[in-house]
Amino acid sequence: MQRIDSITLSGLLPRVFISENIPPSEVWRSPLRFERGKTYLVEAASGGGKSSLAAFLYGLRDDYEGKLLFNERDTRTYTISDWQETRRRHIAYLPQELALFPELTALDNIRLKLALTGDPSESMALKWMERLGMSGRLDYPAGKLSIGQQQRVALVRSLCQPFDFILLDEPVSHLDEANNRIAAAIVAEEAARRGAGVIMTSVGNPLLLPDAVRLKL
Amino acid sequence: MSTESQTSFSPKRMASRLLRRNISGARIAGFALSDFIGLLIVCGALMLYIDSRPLWDSEDSFIRTDYLVINKRVTSANTMGERRSSFTPDEIADLGKQPWVRSVGKFTSSAYRVDGSVDAGGRGMRTALFFESIPDEFVDVARSSWHWREGDAEVPVIISRDYLTLYNFGFASAAGLPQMSEGMMSGIPLRLTLRSDDGSRVIGASGRVAGYSDRLNTILVPQSFMDYANSTLAPGADPDPSRLIVDVSSPGDVAIDRYLEEHGLERAGDKGASSAAFILRTAAGTVMGIGLLVTLLSFFILLLSISLLMEKNRDRLHTLLLLGYPLKTAAAPYRRVVAAGCGGAFLLTVICLWALRLTYLSILSNFGETGSGIWWGTGLAAVLTLLVAAGNFLSIRRRVESAWGLKRKC
Repeated sequence: MQRIDSITLSGLLPRVFISENIPPSEVWRSPLRFERGKTYLVEAASGGGKSSLAAFLYGLRDDYEGKLLFNERDTRTYTISDWQETRRRHIAYLPQELALFPELTALDNIRLKLALTGDPSESMALKWMERLGMSGRLDYPAGKLSIGQQQRVALVRSLCQPFDFILLDEPVSHLDEANNRIAAAIVAEEAARRGAGVIMTSVGNPLLLPDAVRLKL
Repeated sequence: MSTESQTSFSPKRMASRLLRRNISGARIAGFALSDFIGLLIVCGALMLYIDSRPLWDSEDSFIRTDYLVINKRVTSANTMGERRSSFTPDEIADLGKQPWVRSVGKFTSSAYRVDGSVDAGGRGMRTALFFESIPDEFVDVARSSWHWREGDAEVPVIISRDYLTLYNFGFASAAGLPQMSEGMMSGIPLRLTLRSDDGSRVIGASGRVAGYSDRLNTILVPQSFMDYANSTLAPGADPDPSRLIVDVSSPGDVAIDRYLEEHGLERAGDKGASSAAFILRTAAGTVMGIGLLVTLLSFFILLLSISLLMEKNRDRLHTLLLLGYPLKTAAAPYRRVVAAGCGGAFLLTVICLWALRLTYLSILSNFGETGSGIWWGTGLAAVLTLLVAAGNFLSIRRRVESAWGLKRKC
């Protein structure tokens, strides 16, 4: 599979919204192009469909009208293995519900991803954990950590792969500003290193990345 | 791409650590045991059936099935001489005119006495015999082995397979004589002494069993030998035949039975459904059917166990796929469970089949047979095991795909 340089939305709309009168949106029903190397912040009130957008972009759902193209290819033509490769090599994702394995330790949750991708090195991931103040929690089962701590583990895990775009669905909703800034710095460094695009969503507590293109959902 | 994690954690190991939770060893052992029992019954029955078949049943290649042997029904009337049990030339001509008859051949009986003797296991055996012959065109044996000319040292004979069975299972065991296979019997020369009724003329000959028949309960010699012996030992005697062999166009034709009924005739040697081979085949079929049923049930045990296990692990499976794990890797732990269960049952079955074979191999080798049943049994076990495993692999794949979410092809 090729590197994904752009993600194009053309008349995209979740099917549940078809019969509803939705407010004017810069995402739904609009032509929109996310480009590699740029940062986007999709803002909305709850229920606006932020997580739906992330799920469409990550191949978790396809109950939408309109078209979604990676480069020029319609993602409806993607097979399961195309999507799985996309998830390993091209699009990183931090889901809102975090999707950690509660019975595994924080470190094993990260290793589970590293075992699959082998990029970056485990020492790099450990440095990120240290910067986020998580060094002392590596051997705790993820289920025993606070939501804020789990969010940091899940963030580090989402960075443990090569990617052209990273989707961050409310990545810092449970973090204080200090941790938000550290997380933002790590994401910015890693995105810059990989030349990747960042697409983040927020209901009011965004990841503090500068120069984000703000889009109203 | 250089990470320490790659060396110490493979995706497969990580996935299997997660997904093997909730595996019930007892359930998988339960499957393996029932699969083993089912396979052993099916394959054991097949093996026994195939190995024992040569003792009971072989193709009767000498007399084609569209040849009927008919004789007059024996009643007290013809025993008392009021009705003849032999066919007159008129009766034979009438039969030959029937539309379902292609040709009619007469059985010629020996008009002399026959003594047969063999050397079996160092002990001599002799018995009074009788011969019959039918025209050579009714005997489906290569010309080379079914012919006799004056001066030939050996006379080929075809005997009823029943005689061999009678000898093996009735006479030999009671008299302490060795049992004989068809192959062995054919190798033993038969000394024949033919005497005229008054004992004044004698012909000595050597007989060789050229084949066995299920459909003729007699001892058959070539027509040429019969003609020579009859003319030498009982010149002038030309008794009417008591049995006829008829080549019919369709053996199942109801017109045949109607004609036979009207003329007081009956088909001879048509054992068909009542033969031991049929009973053996039915028994083997029934046992195999039961075994197949057990195997099928065990298949469902495994299917349900794996389904239950995957249902319990559905969230874990979903999350692994969310991380980008290939479907194959996610399915691997379940496939390994299936492979272990099926492989274990298969190995156990094959071991037991060999052990079972050892118990009767000595009996079998008495008959000069080695038996190919073990290969059939093993082959069938392999095929059934592959089917059970394939069915489960398919179900695992479906479940992993459904955990992936969208309806897509791999």
